Amino acid sequence: MSDSTTHFGFKTVNETEKAQKVAEVFHSVAQKYDVMNDLMSAGLHRAWKFFTIETSGAKAGDRVLDIAGGTGDLSKAFCKKVGKTGQVWLTDINSSMLGVGRDRLLDAGFAVPTAQCDAEKLPFPDNYFDIVTVAFGLRNMTHKDAALAEMYRVLRPGGRLLVLEFSKVWAPLKPAYDLYSFKLLPFMGKLVAQDADSYQYLAESIRMHPDQETLKAMMQDVGFGRVEYHNMSAGIVALHKGFKF
Amino acid sequence: MDPKLLEILVCPVCKGPLVYDKAKQELISKAERLAYPIRDGIPVMLASEARVLGPDEEVAG
Repeated sequence: MSDSTTHFGFKTVNETEKAQKVAEVFHSVAQKYDVMNDLMSAGLHRAWKFFTIETSGAKAGDRVLDIAGGTGDLSKAFCKKVGKTGQVWLTDINSSMLGVGRDRLLDAGFAVPTAQCDAEKLPFPDNYFDIVTVAFGLRNMTHKDAALAEMYRVLRPGGRLLVLEFSKVWAPLKPAYDLYSFKLLPFMGKLVAQDADSYQYLAESIRMHPDQETLKAMMQDVGFGRVEYHNMSAGIVALHKGFKF
Repeated sequence: MDPKLLEILVCPVCKGPLVYDKAKQELISKAERLAYPIRDGIPVMLASEARVLGPDEEVAG
């Protein structure tokens, strides 16, 4: 057993403990995940995801892998883009989130292939997907470099990765953003999801996540080319895109 | 889930092929001797959740 440590929000924990703690957070919030996203971001997460879909260049017949796909927002939009000849895989490491997502997609009329998997050890062959996306998921992964390398492996040459994630906010907005994240966010989490701790973790994990340039370098390190990012809402989130050549 | 789509999946540990056991609802990696469960129609592709095959257990296919 490894004694390596990592971050769980601001706390330092064993690597094995991190995965377990992240799992607890998402088992706890799965049922209220969508309503909390709307509330916390004032609906903005829909715009961020819309931009991600549009940037992906997804077209009919494409194969798409949605990692940490959770409750299925991106998968649903990709299903409409790739049509019947395409393929969208909804995956998440958390069974609670995946169950909610699969059922929501079925309710919307999309029977997508679904698999519970660890992004650091993907159960897909090399060079298979046209698009891999991970929205608000990379932050929670223990070994981000290993996960990025796996995403690179399963992409076909010419395929691209899209990472939508919280990032480093524009400096003048930082005081207000901190106040919101560390005071208001846990309060809303307590009120709506009866779980202040999970939303405290959310705020902390965002601060510990690599900033725009660091993540870009991490993508380049595992082989991605033409890596670029686009800040949204003053850097509250950033969309990184990179190609496999 | 469509068995054709299950065929796409590989062992997350060795990336080798998997054998679908419809009766047991498992995806079996002969190389790793692991059986990944399919729960409620969702394949659980985590080594930590997989069943280790017995020493005498034969895998068809």
